[in-house]
Amino acid sequence: MQSILRNYIRRHATAATRQNSSVNASEISFFSKLSSQWWDEHGEFAFLHRMNPIRMQFIHEKVREMDWEDGATSEEKISRRSALDGLKVLDIGCGGGLLSESLARQGARTLGIDASEANIAIATLHSQADPNFRVSSASPSPSNLSYRQISAESLLAESGPEQYDVVCSMEVLEHVDNPADFLNSCAQLVKPGGHLFLSTIARTPLAYFLTIFTAETLLRKVTPGTHTYSKFVNPGELVEYFQNYPTSLTSKATTTEAEVRGMIYAPLRAKWHLASRTASLWGGDLVNGCNYLFWVRKPNVSPSQ
Amino acid sequence: MASTRHVPFRLLKAGRHALRTRQYSSARVSDDCDIVIVGGGPAGLALASALGSSAASNRLRIVLVEGGDLSKVHGWSLDSDVYSNRVSSLTNASQSFLRDIGAWSHVEESRTCPMEDMEVWDGVSDARISFHASDVPTTGSTEGQQMARLTENLNLQRGLLRHLKTHPEIELIDKTKVESIIRDEEEGQWPLVKLANDRILRTRLLIGADGFNSPVRSYARIPSYGWSYNTQAIVATMFHSPPSLYQNSLHTTAYQRFLPTGPIAFLPLSPTASSLVWSINPPELAQALVASASQNPSVLASMINAAFRLPTVSLKYLYDVVMDARTKGVAIDGEAITKEIRWREESHGIDGNSTYASSSTQLSQGMPSLDAASLPPLVTSIQPGTVASFPLKYNHAETYLGEGLGARTVLVGDAAHTVHPLAGQGLNQGLADVECLSKCIAEAVANGGDVGSYTALLPYAQERYIANHTIMSAVDKLHKLYSTEFEPVVWARSVGLEVLNELDVVKSAIMATAGAHSSKTTNSADAAAGINNGWSVVAKGFESYASTVKAARMASQGAVGLIGGGLEGIGRIITNLSK
Ligand SMILES: Cc1cc2nc3c(=O)[nH]c(=O)nc-3n(C[C@H](O)[C@H](O)[C@H](O)COP(=O)(O)OP(=O)(O)OC[C@H]3O[C@@H](n4cnc5c(N)ncnc54)[C@H](O)[C@@H]3O)c2cc1C
Ligand SMILES: C[S@@+](CC[C@H](N)C(=O)[O-])C[C@H]1O[C@@H](n2cnc3c(N)ncnc32)[C@H](O)[C@@H]1O
Repeated sequence: MQSILRNYIRRHATAATRQNSSVNASEISFFSKLSSQWWDEHGEFAFLHRMNPIRMQFIHEKVREMDWEDGATSEEKISRRSALDGLKVLDIGCGGGLLSESLARQGARTLGIDASEANIAIATLHSQADPNFRVSSASPSPSNLSYRQISAESLLAESGPEQYDVVCSMEVLEHVDNPADFLNSCAQLVKPGGHLFLSTIARTPLAYFLTIFTAETLLRKVTPGTHTYSKFVNPGELVEYFQNYPTSLTSKATTTEAEVRGMIYAPLRAKWHLASRTASLWGGDLVNGCNYLFWVRKPNVSPSQ
Repeated sequence: MASTRHVPFRLLKAGRHALRTRQYSSARVSDDCDIVIVGGGPAGLALASALGSSAASNRLRIVLVEGGDLSKVHGWSLDSDVYSNRVSSLTNASQSFLRDIGAWSHVEESRTCPMEDMEVWDGVSDARISFHASDVPTTGSTEGQQMARLTENLNLQRGLLRHLKTHPEIELIDKTKVESIIRDEEEGQWPLVKLANDRILRTRLLIGADGFNSPVRSYARIPSYGWSYNTQAIVATMFHSPPSLYQNSLHTTAYQRFLPTGPIAFLPLSPTASSLVWSINPPELAQALVASASQNPSVLASMINAAFRLPTVSLKYLYDVVMDARTKGVAIDGEAITKEIRWREESHGIDGNSTYASSSTQLSQGMPSLDAASLPPLVTSIQPGTVASFPLKYNHAETYLGEGLGARTVLVGDAAHTVHPLAGQGLNQGLADVECLSKCIAEAVANGGDVGSYTALLPYAQERYIANHTIMSAVDKLHKLYSTEFEPVVWARSVGLEVLNELDVVKSAIMATAGAHSSKTTNSADAAAGINNGWSVVAKGFESYASTVKAARMASQGAVGLIGGGLEGIGRIITNLSK
């Protein structure tokens, strides 16, 4: 089955690359090979499984915080079971759907997309075993979780900009070609007033040591070749990118409208923590020097006005 | 979920039921659940209650399956002066958990009894340790000065059921056994739970609260490590006269004497009733005692009184009498055994008016002797129908989480661990499991996680495994040390040398205050350290009376020479040469 998938991917990936500037064919075939491992919580992607709760916590916190800042006192918002309930959410580079499933369980109408067909196949298969997402003939309406094999650029071309309340792309940036183009596509898909969440690995010696050396070389927890050091993006670079973003994704209140939070791994407890909000953006090398979460909000007024 | 998102809660539940039934292979229908709890014992009911009172229950479909008849538990009722024979000491930590989830108000508190002091002594050397509620580290709570509360298991279970009545969203299926558990090979390998009524539940998470012979543990292929103590514990409800007027008129002291055959415990329920837990090795002796009690309950009463008072040589003789009667198939003459006990007391030089005289007829009349508080009141009769016995074993599952083919399973309570009852911790451990697991589940739900996933459940296993292991090995070691009459060991335990660490652990478990366990944010190492921190406050309670001059001399040498500084920080040794 692996080889069938692989062949399938090879064809599709190369086809996709032609129109998709950010898709790196070798990266995609790499993840496709590992696709059957997505839901093995002890396997290759164990770290992503363990990271998931704090990624969700961060997304939830920021969206709710902005709801309150916008004066969300309306009954509608308070009675929702979560800040994500009913929102239209896009998960770019969803892999096996680890984050997509959690988003959908929180009530978000979630679309997971990935450049790899094999990943989309695994994600779909997995969601079909779960009654939370199963599309049943008895059910009057479709599930709020769906998957598509498509790149962010193609989706943007197909649907046009400003489609999603929340766009997430977790641990993808370090695997793409032309990160600036990729970020641009992500940003364009966000509705005005909507949120963009990213997580990635910073390009610091510590990040190199923890991710590549320790995980790949020393512990063999992650298949060697998963990460390429030169692709790691620093938090400062991300913030700078959005500060200079032509359509001014960030509003004037830059400081409150973008946030970087480090993720710290406690090996003894095998658990990820969200670094405190006060941890400095630039100084705290240890905190932001490795895996980190990034959030930015699109101004409410459409840039065309 | 998607389809019913905006439907009000009640409708949503009803709607979901309809949607969630689906066709299963060979035309069977399976029911989709998020959580199936197997077992409606104290652990299972407490877990259902905790989940019911958390926000998680609004988003999850939760079903509890129990083989027995829960309506009997719900309808359980006894007159105020009689008690069920299964009683547990609930620690302050357990009570505060039950209060937090809103279940404690459904427990009939007037039937419970605070335990304020505990007298524990060595049947061979008479070295004694006293635990006092005043040693409990105060946390500013309103719980007052008690170290635990003796509660009939049925009172607790009924309270939990009453609480569950206020959470109808949690489905209780009773009088229905789980017949088999298999994997859903067609989709996702989720557990399929087949009930005796042919219903099949397909579940995201399967929780084994199903006791020592846990079918969930077998399904998950989790090996369990342990042994039988070759011991039976006799339980019974005992009646006695109230403690003397000169003492605190409430009877709030628990007594436990360690005999070479096992510990015997006297747990207060009311001024005139107490609960017995008498662990006896060999089990044949326990059975003979139970048999003698069925013929003549006063024999057991006399034997209990003797077991708290007579030296072990004389007890051995009495055991022989009981065993002999059993082998010959004859009833024991109650009069004769009382006479025998009296004669033995005289020959041991015990004054008939002393508290140590079990056959004393004065009972509470007259001046109480000075040593009155150090022994339990004399048992006058046994509540009919309350004598029973249970085999004791040590068991600890290798892990609490199923993996691989046994994924989506988790164990709590006796399904995960059984321990000797000498420290009264089994049920408390189960409640601590439940508190921790329910918090993990709530956290997973809050983050949109899959509550059956290993990742969601891992913090539970990490926190509880070490905490349980610490208590269990300490209890087990105490049991082993106290079942020997080997002189050096007797000496060492009398001066606290051998047992100090174990006593630390056990005592802090018994005196665990609110929030002492649980709190997902502390890691296991911190929790273990916490145990020791809580302990230092209790140090002054450690008093060891060595009963013989020899032991006393060794003890004083020991205190200065051998243990010196080490003991100073922990407790003081008082050598009592006069006795
Ligand atoms: C003599 C004695 C004294 C004790 N004293 C104390 C004390 O002072 N303090 C203390 O904390 N602890 C004490 N304990 C321990 C305490 O009683 C136990 O730890 C506690 O009862 C365990 O509760 P549980 O719910 O885990 O298991 P159980 O009470 O064993 O409940 C398991 C339930 O699962 C059900 N079940 C099993 N299989 C199936 C199936 N296939 N289908 C459906 N249902 C099923 C059973 O019917 C049962 O109701 C004592 C124990 C003994 C023996
Ligand atoms: C490390 S995984 C992260 C998966 C998932 N977001 C998570 O965190 O659980 C990276 C994923 O991004 C996908 N990917 C890489 N480049 C991409 C691109 N340009 N467009 C879409 N997906 C891409 C890969 O196929 C892979 O599934």
